[in-house]
Amino acid sequence: MHMTEQTILSASGYLPLLRFDRSVARSELRWAGMGGARGHRAVAGWDEDALTLAIEASRLVSPESAGRVTVASTSSPFTDRSMAGLLVDALTLDPALPVTDVGLSRRAATSALIRALASDTPELIAAGERRQAQAGSPQGLAWGDGAGAVLVGPGEGLARCRAAVSRSAQVIDSYTAMSRGLPYGAEDRFVRDTAVDLYQTAVSEALDRAGVAAGDVAIAAMAEPVAGTYIALAKAMKLKAPNLCTEVAGAAGDLGAAMPLFGLALALDRAQPGDLILVAGFGNGCDVLLLEATGTGNGSAEAALSQGSVLSSYTRFLNLTGGIDLDWGPRAEVNQKVSASTLARHSREMTGFVGGRDQGGNVQFPKTPMPVNPAIEGLGAYEDVVLRDVPAKVASITADRLNYTPDPPFHFGLVQFENGARVMMEHCDTDCSAPAVGDPVRMRFRIKAMDRQRAFRTYFWKAAPAERPTLAKEG
Amino acid sequence: MATGIRDKVVIAGMGCSVFGERWDMSSDMLMVEAFTEALADAGLEKSRIEAAWLGSALDDVNVGNSAIPLATALRLRDIPVTRVENMCATGTEALRGAVYAVAAGAVDVALALGVEKLKDSGFGGLPIRTKGAVNDLWMPYGSAPGTFAQLAGAYAARHGVSMGDLKRGMAHVSWKSHQNGVMNDRAHLRRAVDMDTILNAPMIADPLGLYDCCGVSDGAAAAIVTTPEIARALGKDTLVSVKALQICTSHGWEAQYGAWDGSYVPTTRAAAGRAYAEAGISDPKAEIGLAEVHDCFSITELVTMEDLQLSNDGRAAFDFLDGRYDRDGAVPAQVDGGLKCFGHPVGASGLRMAYEVYTQLMERAGDRQLADLDFGLTHNLGGQPANSVGAVSVFGRL
Repeated sequence: MHMTEQTILSASGYLPLLRFDRSVARSELRWAGMGGARGHRAVAGWDEDALTLAIEASRLVSPESAGRVTVASTSSPFTDRSMAGLLVDALTLDPALPVTDVGLSRRAATSALIRALASDTPELIAAGERRQAQAGSPQGLAWGDGAGAVLVGPGEGLARCRAAVSRSAQVIDSYTAMSRGLPYGAEDRFVRDTAVDLYQTAVSEALDRAGVAAGDVAIAAMAEPVAGTYIALAKAMKLKAPNLCTEVAGAAGDLGAAMPLFGLALALDRAQPGDLILVAGFGNGCDVLLLEATGTGNGSAEAALSQGSVLSSYTRFLNLTGGIDLDWGPRAEVNQKVSASTLARHSREMTGFVGGRDQGGNVQFPKTPMPVNPAIEGLGAYEDVVLRDVPAKVASITADRLNYTPDPPFHFGLVQFENGARVMMEHCDTDCSAPAVGDPVRMRFRIKAMDRQRAFRTYFWKAAPAERPTLAKEG
Repeated sequence: MATGIRDKVVIAGMGCSVFGERWDMSSDMLMVEAFTEALADAGLEKSRIEAAWLGSALDDVNVGNSAIPLATALRLRDIPVTRVENMCATGTEALRGAVYAVAAGAVDVALALGVEKLKDSGFGGLPIRTKGAVNDLWMPYGSAPGTFAQLAGAYAARHGVSMGDLKRGMAHVSWKSHQNGVMNDRAHLRRAVDMDTILNAPMIADPLGLYDCCGVSDGAAAAIVTTPEIARALGKDTLVSVKALQICTSHGWEAQYGAWDGSYVPTTRAAAGRAYAEAGISDPKAEIGLAEVHDCFSITELVTMEDLQLSNDGRAAFDFLDGRYDRDGAVPAQVDGGLKCFGHPVGASGLRMAYEVYTQLMERAGDRQLADLDFGLTHNLGGQPANSVGAVSVFGRL
């Protein structure tokens, strides 16, 4: 690998609010002899997908300096609607940026990261996953929803690459055929033993290239195809470092293509300058990066792991993960067809949450030909104002139990922004605390509407409680 | 210089169908039911009607687009018939069209008819509708109770009223309307409900429980309006005139501008102020003897009483609990059961309110008759508190 000056400038991890308690599934599925997993599994809200999760992770790395945007996922909601392009709109980045969507491999993010580090273009690499698995399957409980993001660019940064190795191999530990859409796994012991062999070859080569020994590695962030892979690898190679991806798998689940990025962010959160970090992605081969920490992370992955709200209803878990299809009655039949021309006309302001400051100083969303400001007669002349990071409070609120939502109740109400803007908004992540008038909120990028008849979705911003609760430590 | 419409137009006759789950009736049959009563009450030939307005809010589950369904149902030959829609204020909007036509001298006799056939929609409440192609990209798909429920938290926060007191005040709103509904043989809901049942009902949209919400109904109501001179020529001794008819429509200030705290409905306040001025009412608390207000939800009626200046700000919950708006209170409200119990066929509701006020002023209300009534008020509210159409009308004898 050709070494360049590009380093990792920032890294982040993001998880959805909910953590399903796997012991609930163990209890519910005991009669069938299923559901043996322990710990928690991060569960996306009904209005989250690979894109929304990747965007939330991207916000945490301050991606404004990116000269290129790559989004990686094996669970993209569309095969031909660019997530990277939507990310550019959502974060109001330059529409002229080159964008790339990568997928079809759980190594998509690590492969992109290796290429980015070898390039001379600053790049945002974001990975999000919300993978579907069948109820009762091992993956249904072992996998989790989440995201990671890395900003690569010139400068000292938080970590530099000492070596990177890739190996391709037709090891089918798990596959998801597009025609079926659900994973099928191979026998665990075969997967573990084969993965150890693959990893051992690649890790050895990386260590050799960097001229360091296995015992010099301080932290590992290696995706495991099955539990126990890293323990066996560490034993075989005399690695002493803890594998943070093992911890993440237990507390949030296997995050697929996002796992190595989340693990990397967590490693940087815990690293001291000089620490060697082994990052690896697995899937029909493996990518291995040996990084040297030059700084400490922003704490986002650590915070994501430690905060959340426990989900202990198995049927609600199944409802959120596609395991059951409830009959929501005629209100769920609402036609949510989206006009393509309307979307094209308003996408940038809606996706980016771009309001406007009129000539009188008032901020409004959306912009209208004539401002709402009573002091202004006639047409408006606006300066764009992005609202997604502006502090805001609940001005009015309710928990609606009448209209259809996939995960009731439906919280919505007026949100008052500190800069004067006021918007009627949906709320999300309300499990931890029902919003009340005056409560501070923060904006989250979410699915606005799902057109179930035509399998389309639109995105918009929603208000979430400003703070998440701390999860109790697992005993 | 405009002079308003005070006393320029009188009601020649009114009709109102039975409201409720009219499984055996289509909208054209409901229109005929209301119109037949109105025409008989007016005592004139159908051919004297020179213009008509149809109020219908939900075209997709109702009569269909245009005013043709009204002209066809009533066989109104060769006259202008116009359909109007302004959400739940549609009925009053239809009346306004007819009243203005007569007041302007354009016609001598005009018809306003509102109808809605909601029970054919298949929904327990209002059906879900698009908010428009652009708005659907960002506006929440909230239900009607969800939008009005937000008044409660904002109201409690503004006035320092505890949610417990507010819930009890709201419960009394519904309790009173159920008491009144029992006495109305055209009402949809005719069963008294006790306070405990109301307070402990399943939640629909916090803090609105089931009994805080009106249902949806089938029904129609109609008014035939004319000049005082023509009414007298028809042999009418007692004339009920339109003292004021004012509508105010949100222009986005509430939902997009930071000054509104969500605890009241600005359009009602604006329309009420103009209506009182037009009617020459200087002290609404003393002069309004009957209020038929838009009680789509208990919190709406409660807040409305302050918006109409019938209660002091922050006191409506306690006024309700003290019986101020009960049948035997200082300002009887919803004496026909209101939207809550008479029912809420959206396009007809504004005219239904006028029907009750007219009936009371004509002293035809039988067991429900109020004594010493000079002025009756109707308040018809479309939309939601943050984006509303407020309509306030005042009726009295000429």
